[in-house]
Amino acid sequence: MLHQEQKWDWEIQSRPKFKWGVRDILSYRHLLGSLVRREFLLNYQQTILGPVWILFQPLLTLVTYVLVFGKLIGIPTGENLPPVLFYFSGIVLWNFFNDSFVGTSNTFRDNIQIFSKVYFPRIIMPLSVLFTHFFRLLVQLILLVLMIGYYIIFKDFHVPLSPNLLLVPLAIILTGVISFTLGLFFSVLTAKYRDISNLVYVGIRLLMFVTPVIYPLSAVQEKLRWVVNINPLTPLFELFRLGLLGQGTVAPLQLLYCILFIVLTLFGSLYLFTKQGSKLIDVV
Amino acid sequence: MAEVVLEVEHLAKVYKLGAIGTGSLRQDLQYWWNKNILKKEDPFFQQKDEEAEMNNELIWALRDINFKVNQGEALGIIGSNGSGKSTLLKIISRIVQPSKGLVRGKGKVNSILEVGTGFHSELSGRENIYNSGYILGMNKEEIRSKFDEIVAFSGIEKFIDTPVKRYSSGMYVRLAFAVAAHLEPDILIVDEVLAVGDADFQKKCMGKMQEVSHTKGRTILFVSHNMQAVTNLCTTALWLNAGRMKMMGNARDVVASYIGNSKQFRTGQSWDEPETAPGNHFIRMKSIEVKPIGSVKNDMITVETPIQLDVEFWCLQEGFDMNINVRLLTNAGECIFDLGSPSVKAEKAVLGLRSIIPGNLLNNNNYIIGLTVVKNHSTHLYAFTNCISFDVEDMREGMSYFGLWPGIIRPQIDTSFFKKVNLD
Repeated sequence: MLHQEQKWDWEIQSRPKFKWGVRDILSYRHLLGSLVRREFLLNYQQTILGPVWILFQPLLTLVTYVLVFGKLIGIPTGENLPPVLFYFSGIVLWNFFNDSFVGTSNTFRDNIQIFSKVYFPRIIMPLSVLFTHFFRLLVQLILLVLMIGYYIIFKDFHVPLSPNLLLVPLAIILTGVISFTLGLFFSVLTAKYRDISNLVYVGIRLLMFVTPVIYPLSAVQEKLRWVVNINPLTPLFELFRLGLLGQGTVAPLQLLYCILFIVLTLFGSLYLFTKQGSKLIDVV
Repeated sequence: MAEVVLEVEHLAKVYKLGAIGTGSLRQDLQYWWNKNILKKEDPFFQQKDEEAEMNNELIWALRDINFKVNQGEALGIIGSNGSGKSTLLKIISRIVQPSKGLVRGKGKVNSILEVGTGFHSELSGRENIYNSGYILGMNKEEIRSKFDEIVAFSGIEKFIDTPVKRYSSGMYVRLAFAVAAHLEPDILIVDEVLAVGDADFQKKCMGKMQEVSHTKGRTILFVSHNMQAVTNLCTTALWLNAGRMKMMGNARDVVASYIGNSKQFRTGQSWDEPETAPGNHFIRMKSIEVKPIGSVKNDMITVETPIQLDVEFWCLQEGFDMNINVRLLTNAGECIFDLGSPSVKAEKAVLGLRSIIPGNLLNNNNYIIGLTVVKNHSTHLYAFTNCISFDVEDMREGMSYFGLWPGIIRPQIDTSFFKKVNLD
C-alpha cells in the first residue's frame, strides 16, 4: 500500500513550537466581547447604584486626596491648576493601571476552574480584564472632561487647545500595555510561586508613590528625581496631564525609554505567558 | 478506507508526586541559567528525574498510548478510576500538555469535560448560553442560529431571562448540557456526562450523542463508566489500565473483557468435612456453584447466557423419598420461581443435583438461590435459604435505552406491531 503523507490540521507535542496564535485569538474574539460584557453585568448586578459605582469610587478617592495631600500636607500641584483636576486625572489613570494590572496578574488563580476544563487561548482572559478596565476608564474620562469644562466655564481655568491633546490617547494606550505586560509576567510567577502574590500587592502600593499621581514631577527634588524617572510610568502620567490640563514635564528621551521598555517587556511577557500557559495547569 | 482524523503516538504523561511545583524560585532560576545561558547540564538537575523515578516519586498517568481514530468512529474509553482516561481526554483537548509523545488530528475539536463550563450563576440563562457557547468554541452565528433549538432542548423557555442561580439543579444541568449538545465539531470529546441528571435526561443525552455520531458522521471520544452506554454508542473501545493500554478493539469485546476482569463470576462455595458443613443429621451441603454455560468470554453471566447450577451434598440417612426444591429469589427475598425436583430414594452417599436456568430469562439483577429439602413429599428436613447469590450482567444491542431495565425477570417474548386497518 502506498503510504500517503497525511495532512494534519493540528498537533500537540510535549515541547510545542512557539506560536503567537493571532488567528486563534481572533477566532475567539466573541468570547472576549462576551467576557467584558459579563464583567460589567456582574459587577453591578444587585447593587442599588449600579454603574454609578464606576464614578463613585474615584470621586471618593478624590475627596480624600484633596483633603489629605492638598489641604493637610500641601503638596504643590502646579500654578493655576485646580488641585481637583490634578488629582482626579492622576486617580483615573492610576486606577486603570492598578486594576488592570492586579486583574491580569491573577489570571491563573481566578480561572483555574475553567482552564482545567476547556481549551481556548489563555490570553483571552487577561485581555478581557484589560478591556473591562479600559471601558471603565472611558466612563471616568467623560466625568473628568466634564469637570474640566466646569472649571473652564465657571472658574476661569484656561487650557490651551493644542495638538498636545493627541498625547492623551497615547498615554492611555501605553499605560494599558504596561499594566497588561506586567500583569502577564506576574500571572505566571504568582501561579508558580505563591508568595510572590503578596509581594505584588505591596509592590503596587509602593509603586504609586514613585509615580507622579499625587504630585507633579516638577515638585520632586532634583536629587531624588532619578528614582521617579526610572519608573516607565512617569512619562505617561506627565504626558496625560500635559495633554489634558496643559501641565506636565516630559523629556523626549524619557518617552523613548518608556516605549522601549514597553516593547521589550511586552514580547517577553507574551512569550512567557504563551509558553508557560499550558504547563501551569499541572501546577496551580 | 476511512480517513484517520486523530492519531496518538507514544503519548505519556508524568506527574511528580508530593512536591508538585514547589521547586523554589532560586532553584528554577539556577536551572534555567545553567541550561540556557551557560549551556551546561547541571549534574544535580540531570539526576532529578531518574532519581525521582527510582524513589517512586513520579506517577505515570499515561504511558505509551498509541491509537488512531477514523472519521465517524465513536471510540469509548473505559477503565477503572485513576486509569488515566480523563488525563488522556485533557491532553487531546489541549488542556494539559503531554510529557512525551504526539497527538495530531484534523478538524475542529470540542470537549465537554464538565457540564456547565463557563456558566455563571448571576447571569441569566440567555447570557449563559452565549457565554458558555463562546467558551466551548462556538461562534456568534452558530449560537444565534441554534439558540431556539438549545432553549427548546433544555425545556426552560419561561426562565430564559432569570439568573441561573434561581434555577433548580435539574434545570441548570439541562440548560448546560443543551449548550454542549449543540456543538458541532469534527471531533467531540465527552467525559462522563451521564453521571449527572436523572434517567430521563440521560436518555436524552445519549440520544443526542447517537444522533451526532451515527447520523452526522462525527467522530466521538467518549469516557464513561456506564458500559451499556459504551457498547451502544461506540464502535471501538479502548481499555486503559494504570495508564497503559490494556486492550483496544471492538467495543463489545473490550467491554466484556473489562467487566469480566473487574468481577469474579464463578460463584460457588464448598465444604471439605460433613461436620463443618451446613445442614443437619439428614443432610449436609458439600458444594454449590453457579456458572454460565456457553462460549461467552470470561465466565460472565449475562442476561443472554444460560446458567448452570450444581449442588452436591452428603445424604446421611436412608430409607425415604427425598425432594430438593430449588428456589430463585430476588435479593429482597421474594420467590421468583421454585423448581421441584423429581423425588429420589435417599441413600448414604454423595448426591448431586444439576439444574439449568435458560438464557434470556433473567434480568440484569442480583439473584439468590435457596434450597429446601423435603422428606416423603411432606416433611421439611432442612432449608438452605440464601445458599448463594449471583449477578446477571446486562447485554443489549441495537437499543437506545440505557437505563435500568425494569422487572424481576426479562423473558424473551415475541411482541410485534401489525396494521389492522388503514385510516384514510
